[in-house]
Amino acid sequence: MFNIQGSKLSTLFTLLICMAVLLVSGTASAMLTAKANHDNIKIDFFYHGSSVSVSGITEPGTDLVIKITSPEGHETLKEKGKVGGLLWMNVGTMKFEHVSNLYSVHSTKKLEELLVPEEMDKYGIGYKAIEKQAVLDPVQNNEEKAKWFSEFLRFKEKSKLYASSNGNIEMKEKDGKQSYYILTQWPYQAPPGDYLVTVYAVKDGKVVDQAESKVLVEQAGIVKTLAGMAKNKAALYGLISIVSALGAGFGVGLVFRKGGGAH
Amino acid sequence: MYLYLPVALTSINILIPVGLGLAVGLLSGLFGVGGGFLMTPLLIMFGIPATVAAATDSNQIVAASTSGTYAHWRVGNVDFKMGFHLLIGGFVGGLVGVQAIKILKAMGNADFVIKMTYVIMLGVVGSYMFIESLNAIRKSKNKGEAVTPVETKDNAFTRFLKSLPLQTRYEKSGVTHSMLLPIVFGGFVGILAALMGVGGGFLMVPVMVYILRMPMHVVVGTSLFQILFNCIEVTFLQAYTNHNVDFILAVLLLLGSTVGAQIGTVFGRKLKGEQLKIILAVIVLVVTVKIVFDLTLTPSLLLAQAGGH
Repeated sequence: MFNIQGSKLSTLFTLLICMAVLLVSGTASAMLTAKANHDNIKIDFFYHGSSVSVSGITEPGTDLVIKITSPEGHETLKEKGKVGGLLWMNVGTMKFEHVSNLYSVHSTKKLEELLVPEEMDKYGIGYKAIEKQAVLDPVQNNEEKAKWFSEFLRFKEKSKLYASSNGNIEMKEKDGKQSYYILTQWPYQAPPGDYLVTVYAVKDGKVVDQAESKVLVEQAGIVKTLAGMAKNKAALYGLISIVSALGAGFGVGLVFRKGGGAH
Repeated sequence: MYLYLPVALTSINILIPVGLGLAVGLLSGLFGVGGGFLMTPLLIMFGIPATVAAATDSNQIVAASTSGTYAHWRVGNVDFKMGFHLLIGGFVGGLVGVQAIKILKAMGNADFVIKMTYVIMLGVVGSYMFIESLNAIRKSKNKGEAVTPVETKDNAFTRFLKSLPLQTRYEKSGVTHSMLLPIVFGGFVGILAALMGVGGGFLMVPVMVYILRMPMHVVVGTSLFQILFNCIEVTFLQAYTNHNVDFILAVLLLLGSTVGAQIGTVFGRKLKGEQLKIILAVIVLVVTVKIVFDLTLTPSLLLAQAGGH
């Protein structure tokens, strides 16, 4: 008796969940798709960065924000300061926690025109939002935090790991659907790892839908072999480096000798 | 054409390291310096992380100094006995220097002490060499003969050196010294070199010229010989403990530097000792001025990649 009732209940429960899922996805327009054309970037011998395009379909009348990030982590950087009021040198280290090594955000319009600040904070969209999430150490107050975070952004932008743009997403409307496309330069400075592309559909200052795609960056071929060897077979790697250098030095010496010292 | 560097984790146009190697190798063959004081900052400027730049540079110096030592040995300019004694000192000095860095880091002012040591040593050595060789060139012009540098001034010092035990003859250099002398001064250079994170060729050359009184051409060959061994040791330690040697970058650098060292050796033979000294002095002084500028001008970025250990 109890068993029969139990199975009825579970069927009812499953049905309810299915309905709820349908309902929720329905309100979120269910139209947004995202695809990165280049989801597995191989770092080989001749690698000099790559390009990644993100495209998909969105509901007409929505704006878009495309965010590409590496997982959150922490970074320790050398901090420069003045010693004795005259000489610039490293005066310590600054630790940045809850920051991504790579962060780029592209939008159809300026972020401030698209989203209310609360939404930006909620989804980590824009430099201001990620500044709020970041924890810096050592800083005495918010003013110092703002100063060093802006230095952090300059450092990251210089190494091409952080970028932001607006107006570069191409939008086309066809058959009641809106397609979008953006081509981004993938910096060679971005190390191997998993990267996440998140596309947000935005309307009336709020995120109404989101879709994700992944980009995997990995080393391949000779780059992978050498990087692995440098870490895992360090003694052998060191010896090979030394022997190659000795051989090259000696070899060039011999070549010049054979050349009869013409130089 | 660009190549990806597996340890530096960056991509570089191959013309940059090959060109840098050629230029610094040329200096190496000419003056008997490893050129780390030029190469490491240049590599950093081209986006190589500082630790990888220093470690990889020592790997390429192995190639350049092999090439240079071989070229100098062929013309009889390497004093192996002197080189060996300097090496003993340099090795011990290096160990002491590494400990000194640890103490300085614990005291919290390592960077300041290291930078100041660097600037002062470069400045003093560069100025002294410049003035001394300028005087020597003037005198030789006046008299029209070769000059023995400031022999009369430090007779007491010379007498003291002669009174030291373990006197031995260094045939190639044509000098007689206590073997303690190269060991102690080699040790002194070793300490400073470890402190500054450089090979120390620019300090070793003046020590050999002014204290050990060796002829300039033998100085160059012998300096390269002892740099070769120092850099083999440093390369191995860097690869083994810090994983900072980038093989591909080293190969690109040594393509240029081995050839540069040969060309430098040939050029060097055409120049007089005094001319070589004064050019080296000018290069050392230019680097000093550059470092002083870097220290006083506001840097474009206030954050930099940390050493990573």
